[in-house]
Order: sequence, then structure tokens, then C-alpha cells
Amino acid sequence: MPIIEVENVRKDFMIAKRETGMMGALKSLIKREYMRKEAVKDISFSINEGEIVGYIGPNGAGKSTTIKMLTGILVPSSGNVLVNGLVPYENRQENAKSIGVVFGQRSQLWWDLPTIESFELLKEIYQVSNQCYKKNMDTFTEILGLDEFLNTPVRQLSLGQRMRADIAASLLHDPPILFLDEPTIGLDVVAKEKMRTFIKEINHERKITVILTTHDMEDIEKLCERMILIDHGMKVYDGEIAMIKERFGKIRTLIVDLEESLHSLQLLGGEVCKEEGNRYWIKFNRDEVSASELIAQITKTHSVKDLTVEEPAIESIISRIYQEGYKDLQVSAKV
Amino acid sequence: MPKFHVYWIFTKKAFLRSAVYRFDVWSRLGSNLIFLLMWGSIWTALYAGREEAGGISFQAMLTYIVVSQFLTGVNGAGTPLWEIQEKVRTGDIALELMRPFNVPLRYLFADFGSVTFYIVTALLPIYAILFIFMDFTLPTDIITWVSFIAAAFIGFLIRYCIEMSFGLLSFFLVETGGIEDIFYFAMSLLSGSVIPLWFFPEWLAKIAAYLPFQGIYYIPNAIFIGEIAGGEILLSIGLQIFWLIICYFLLRLVWNRASHKVVVQGG
Ligand SMILES: Nc1ncnc2c1ncn2[C@@H]1O[C@H](COP(=O)(O)OP(=O)(O)OP(=O)(O)O)[C@@H](O)[C@H]1O
Ligand SMILES: [Mg+2]
Repeated sequence: MPIIEVENVRKDFMIAKRETGMMGALKSLIKREYMRKEAVKDISFSINEGEIVGYIGPNGAGKSTTIKMLTGILVPSSGNVLVNGLVPYENRQENAKSIGVVFGQRSQLWWDLPTIESFELLKEIYQVSNQCYKKNMDTFTEILGLDEFLNTPVRQLSLGQRMRADIAASLLHDPPILFLDEPTIGLDVVAKEKMRTFIKEINHERKITVILTTHDMEDIEKLCERMILIDHGMKVYDGEIAMIKERFGKIRTLIVDLEESLHSLQLLGGEVCKEEGNRYWIKFNRDEVSASELIAQITKTHSVKDLTVEEPAIESIISRIYQEGYKDLQVSAKV
Repeated sequence: MPKFHVYWIFTKKAFLRSAVYRFDVWSRLGSNLIFLLMWGSIWTALYAGREEAGGISFQAMLTYIVVSQFLTGVNGAGTPLWEIQEKVRTGDIALELMRPFNVPLRYLFADFGSVTFYIVTALLPIYAILFIFMDFTLPTDIITWVSFIAAAFIGFLIRYCIEMSFGLLSFFLVETGGIEDIFYFAMSLLSGSVIPLWFFPEWLAKIAAYLPFQGIYYIPNAIFIGEIAGGEILLSIGLQIFWLIICYFLLRLVWNRASHKVVVQGG
């Protein structure tokens, strides 16, 4: 049973054109001209209970716009959205009870209240029982280390602390669905790792459905099995991450350090794509030649100091998709 | 149906929050007293030693100004309008739209908290001292006191609805600069906050009579000094309630339009 359904959703923004100069200002008083900006063109997907889905795409692709439509604070220009059986923008307050939301870019906590008071306020707003509140606070404090800053006003929190507070706050009322819009933005390596562990754990233990947008492919790799890739408001890929790796990840790189530097290195099935001193990067297609065959070729004529085979990170696959487009890549991957 | 329990929490939090910004309270009280002094002197000069003018004794007039200034303090202690405008402008208000509560009502209840704090810690002590040491006209019967408090409270609600509506309305007008000044000037004049309506030239008095602003200061002030008395009290409060209902629907309309615009336009 899908818990989230999005069907042919489109969102246009009308942007008022700013006229310049006196005449322009007068003209815009009488008649304003609008420019249509298509933020989301036609997106459909459905998400099952308990999934963690990575929702990714380059800047301006329409990720945040989609999330906002799912939370009900934006009305789609056309198409249908159903979250936990409700149309979000028609039942904003009801929908609010079944979702948790974190916008990495802006906090939803009360700016000048000590963090703990924001939590208490949310407890009342969502009418969380004392027992449930205590259980959640204990769990979150333990995993997220909230106690280190509970009495600090939100405006004085560091970015990492604020993000931890925000995600804890979004889960206080035990929502079955969690929307995370860039929850790891601006965090250091350790904080990111903690955040990922936390997301994984609540998804695992509470069967919370998570949609996550991010620009950090490590988030995707560590958290999601499925990813939806969008670009210019259109869905370009929706499926398992393993699949996309399988499909586009055939090109690997062998890195060898040789004893001596060479004029040129000619290999059957491999191609040197970069060299630096005695180190060579050799690209090969795993279907045509195996790494061991390549290594055998090299060791026949040269002595090798060190070698590694690099798997393609999802990162590089995605950045290629951003640059070359999904369709083109599909074609080139076949040959 | 709003559950008042939720809103009550905002009252409590706002009360506690005000305690953190004590400096704010003192500076606000300071400027309030300066204005009181100013208007007190102006009216003293206008009376120029006379015992009464236009059927109103000097003492009653002075009391009117003091009560008015007290209520001005009360009305000014809530969330500043620009804070809400800023939230609408930046789209931050959308985050509040996502919560299970009614946003204007939440701000009103928060205002109850900060206003109560301000009254209890600043206004009441200072004005009590003023009343003890100066010779003002105090209501002698309990009915006048109760009517005054009721009228002041309704006036507060009327002002809240009008000011909030205006603040949200400005969201639809591109540049509001001048309009805002005119609005505040009109509100302060037509509400009778500094000049009682009976001193208005006839044409202006007529305009004021057909507008809701009189409900904010003029009616409670006049009840306090006994200018509105007996059966007239009920009539005036009835008029206030009439305007409150209208202003409430105005606010609802404007709020629905504004939040609609936010959810369609993305703020
Ligand atoms: N309120 C708005 N008014 C007008 N245009 C908007 C508005 N919000 C978003 N847009 C436009 O819609 C497009 C999609 O924006 P969106 O914020 O959804 O992108 P995103 O995928 O979240 O990007 P990022 O990765 O940078 O956060 C952008 O071109 C943006 O300029
Ligand atoms: Mg975004």
C-alpha cells in the first residue's frame, strides 16, 4: 500500500516582472506582467510504507517545491497528491499530524526560546501524551545528544546542534512520515554520520517512511535503496540505487603505481585516462575485460609497486547524469 | 474547532518570554510616559487655567488622557506588526501554516501573554502611583469599573483585528510606505486616543462615528471618566461588539487571501 502518491503533479510560479525606471513603475501600477516559471513539470511517483527514498536532482530541479506540496504549504497547479490518505493542501492541519518535516535551510523552532521550551510547545501543539513525550525525548537525547544544548536559545545553537534539534522536534508526535529537505547541509563529517545513523534507526525501528533530499551522495548511498532523480522539474530516474550502479557502473578505474615512468602505456581493453609521475589511471569496461586480465598484461612488461581498482561512486554517476543527461547516458552505456 | 488549550500555551510562553526582554519593557514604558507628559502638557495649555471646556472639566480631561495613554501602552505591547509582515514576506509564515493551529488566533493569544506581563510589571505600578498622587477622576462604582475593563478588552480585540488586517493587506500592495503612515495617523486620530471625539469639528465627528476606531480608545476612556454612563454604556459596548464582529470577518477574509497567496505563490 503506497502511503504517498503523487500523480502528474505540476507547479508553476507566476513571477511579477519588475519594470525599471519611472515609466515602468507607472506601467506596473496599471498592469503587471507575469512570467511563468515551471518549477515542477510533471512528476509522478508512489512510495510505500517504511521506505527511505532519496529525492535528488541539481539545484533548482524542483525538489523543495515537491516537498512543500507534500506538506500542504504549496498547492499544485495541477495533478494529485495524496499523503497518508489525505490531500495535503486541503487538510493542512490534519496532514500536519501525520508528517514530520525538516527544512535544513531554515529552522522551525522558536528562535528566542530555549530549545527545551520549543519541544514543550510542540508537545502541547500536537497534544503528545506525557508518556510518549518522555519516551521520545529519552531516545532522541540518547542518540542525538540533545542534553548538551537543551537550555540554549535556538538562535545560539550551532548549525549541527540546530539540525539535531530540528529533526528531534519533527518526530516528537510520532508521525508515520518524515520529509527531510537537505538534513545534512552544512554539517561536518561526524555530524553527518550521526544524522544518518539516526535516520536509519528511526526508519528501522518505527517503520517511518522517509523522503530525503540532499546533495551529498553519501547520504543516498548509506540510507536509501531507492532514489528518484529529477531534473528541470521532470523525473528522470526512479528505481533502485543498485540498478543504476549496475547499469552505469561498468566503467571502472584501475590505478597502478609503477617502478619506472613510461613513455606510454598501451593496454588491450583499457585506456589510460590520467597519469601523474609513475601513477596511471586506467579506465576499463568490466564487461569487456577483467581487472586481473589488465593487471596480468601490465605485470608482464613492468614491475608494479601498488594497485587499486576503483568502483564508481554513485556520486560520479550522478554528476555524469547531471552533465550528460540520463537518456544520453543510457545510450552510451549500452555500447 | 480551535482547542483553546493549545493557544493558552502561547500565552504562557509569551509571558515568560517577555521576562527575558526586560529592557524592552523599560524602554517602552519610558516612551509611554514621555508621551503622557507631552499630551498632559498640551491639554493643560489648551485649557489655559479654565475649569472646564465644552462641558468637560479639566480634571476629567486629564484623566481621559492618562487612561488613554495607559491603554496605548496595553495595545502596543503585543507582537509588532512588522514581525508578522516580515514572516509573510520571507515565506516563513508557511512553516506556521503547516502546524495544527490557527495562526492569527495563535498570535492573539501570544499577545495576551506579553501584554499581561507588561501590564503587571510596568503599566499598573506606574499608573497606580500616578492615580494615588494626582487628582484624577476615578470611577466610584463597580459597574463602571467592570464596563471599562470590558470595553478596553473589546477595544484591544478590535485594534488587533484592524492592525493585523492592515498588516496582511500591505502584502498585496507593492509599496506601502505612505499608506502605512496615513493608516496609523488615522487610527490614532479617529480612535480618540489623544483628542476626545466631542472636541472634533462636526464633519470629523461624523466620520469617526461611522468607523470602528472609536471602539479602541474613545469608548473605554469615556466610560472611565463617566462621559458615557448609564444606559449609554450598554449601547456603546453593543456598538463595539458590532464593530468587533465586522473587523473579525475582515481579518478572516484578509488572512484567507494572504495564506492562499502564500500557498499558491510560495511566499
Ligand atoms: N516561491 C517561488 N516563486 C518563484 N519561483 C520559485 C519559488 N520557489 C521556487 N521557485 C523556482 O522553482 C525552481 C525549483 O525550485 P526548488 O526550490 O524546488 O529547487 P530545489 O530542487 O529544491 O533546488 P536546491 O537543490 O537548490 O534546493 C527554481 O527555479 C526556483 O527558482
Ligand atoms: Mg531545495
